[in-house]
Amino acid sequence: MTKVAEKMDKIVIEVGKRHIREVNRDIMAACATGRPIRVVDTLSRHNLAVGLPDNVDITFEGSVGYYCGGLNTGANISIERNCGWAVGEGMAKGHITVGGYAGMSCGAAMIGGTIHVKGDAGPRVGVAMKGGNIVIEGKIGYQSGFMAHSGRIIALGGAGESCADALWEGEVWVAEEVDSLGVDVDVIEPTAEEVAEVDAILDPLGLVDSSRNWRKMVSGQRLWYFESRDASAWLMI
Amino acid sequence: MCGIAGRILTAPGKVGADLVDLMDAQEHRGADSTGFAVYGLPRETGYVLRGMGFDKSRQESDLSEFEAVLREHGGSFLSDPEILTDQNRHYCFRMEISDPANLQALVADADELADRIEIQSCGRSLEIIKDIGGAEVVAEKHGVQDMIGTHGLGHARLATESSVLPNASHPFWARPFSDVAIVHNGQITDYFTWRDKLTRMGYRFLTENDSELIAVWVSDQMKAGLTMEQALKKSITSIDGVFTYMIATPNGIGFAKDRFALKPLVVVNRSGDLAAATEEQAVRRVMTEECDVINYDGPSLTGIWSIGNWSLAA
Repeated sequence: MTKVAEKMDKIVIEVGKRHIREVNRDIMAACATGRPIRVVDTLSRHNLAVGLPDNVDITFEGSVGYYCGGLNTGANISIERNCGWAVGEGMAKGHITVGGYAGMSCGAAMIGGTIHVKGDAGPRVGVAMKGGNIVIEGKIGYQSGFMAHSGRIIALGGAGESCADALWEGEVWVAEEVDSLGVDVDVIEPTAEEVAEVDAILDPLGLVDSSRNWRKMVSGQRLWYFESRDASAWLMI
Repeated sequence: MCGIAGRILTAPGKVGADLVDLMDAQEHRGADSTGFAVYGLPRETGYVLRGMGFDKSRQESDLSEFEAVLREHGGSFLSDPEILTDQNRHYCFRMEISDPANLQALVADADELADRIEIQSCGRSLEIIKDIGGAEVVAEKHGVQDMIGTHGLGHARLATESSVLPNASHPFWARPFSDVAIVHNGQITDYFTWRDKLTRMGYRFLTENDSELIAVWVSDQMKAGLTMEQALKKSITSIDGVFTYMIATPNGIGFAKDRFALKPLVVVNRSGDLAAATEEQAVRRVMTEECDVINYDGPSLTGIWSIGNWSLAA
């Protein structure tokens, strides 16, 4: 296979053992054509498709490594199997689909767009996110939602330990069991309007199910203006 | 940031070559030094010692002194020691020795020479090879590609807590327990507390590397009666820091991850044909067919992969 080959209407780009900077240059050049892109022989390599522009449709055949789709500004990115750490880190817009498992820090510090993971996700999903939506069909890992400033994490499976630890104004929605809560978290009953908002996110993904028993986690706000001289306030949580 | 790897074959084979591939794929995680712990076919008697001397101009006198210590303990060289030198000041050696009367006593006395030569592994099947440089450089110098065995460990080091020295490279041997080796990715924050306790118990540390401590700590727990599974679990609550480590014995490889889930571990296990590494792209170097990958991303995890009899303790 050539490094960049045209196959039907798609542009096919091979990763293999090539330098990632060279691969990403090929991807950016392909983005400029407006044609769909298929990336093959990915071998779980890191840093693929970082900083993609709007109006791009790109599919990764196989698994990818760390930071795939980071700083996305509007591309529609599909990863057919697993991804490593921090898929979609810092993304502002667009859509990322992961067919399998997502490693630690999925959607870290993202500010917009949607990440949809069909399998489970590792620890710290949405850590420090400031907007957008992360939908995990399976279970979210340890300390997911840690210090999320805004946006929604929606787990259709359960959640691991220390869920939603130290949230700001982000929300963590879990449909199954939560192993344990983090500090300063309240579990509240969502209103019908809020459930409708979540269903509006799930609807395009074909994931709406009215029988779910949602646990919505928000900040207890007891640590928002924590005064270090008042350590007893921390100990009470 | 360091990179670690483990490999188990279903039958003796070129485990050295696979470990080189696993570490070459992770060289970006630390190119200060690279090391390998290879478990070859176990011998019924005798040991293989691997190590290094710090000044090649004194090589002859160093080895004569060591041979004298060996003879005092009733042992002898089974063949002439193999010596490797290059442009560096240090040199590396491999010795095959007969059984001494008391291995631990021999190691203790040999360690009196540790300002000149340092034994870095001792085993019926274990051989630790480590040196300055990336995987390919170290492997070519020491012939790791051609080493035959059943399983092993690899390490790519980015020095953080101690110097870039050949003897501060990983893997570490659990001195003085034969055939136990460890690789570690992380930092142990109560290193000096534990080192002090273990030193007062009689253990000797030849570096200031926190990974050396874990090897001895786990082995000491097992000496005290814990199973490896129990010792691995206990390490998570007893040792403070962020870490993922793998420890190997002639029976297999165990791993433990800290309470904070900050150091990754990725595993492919195809009916006992197993590759584990910090990064998925490394295991895909040796598992070239499409395969399912297990991500041990969570906190407080332990597991043991036995030779020919895999089981997960977590």
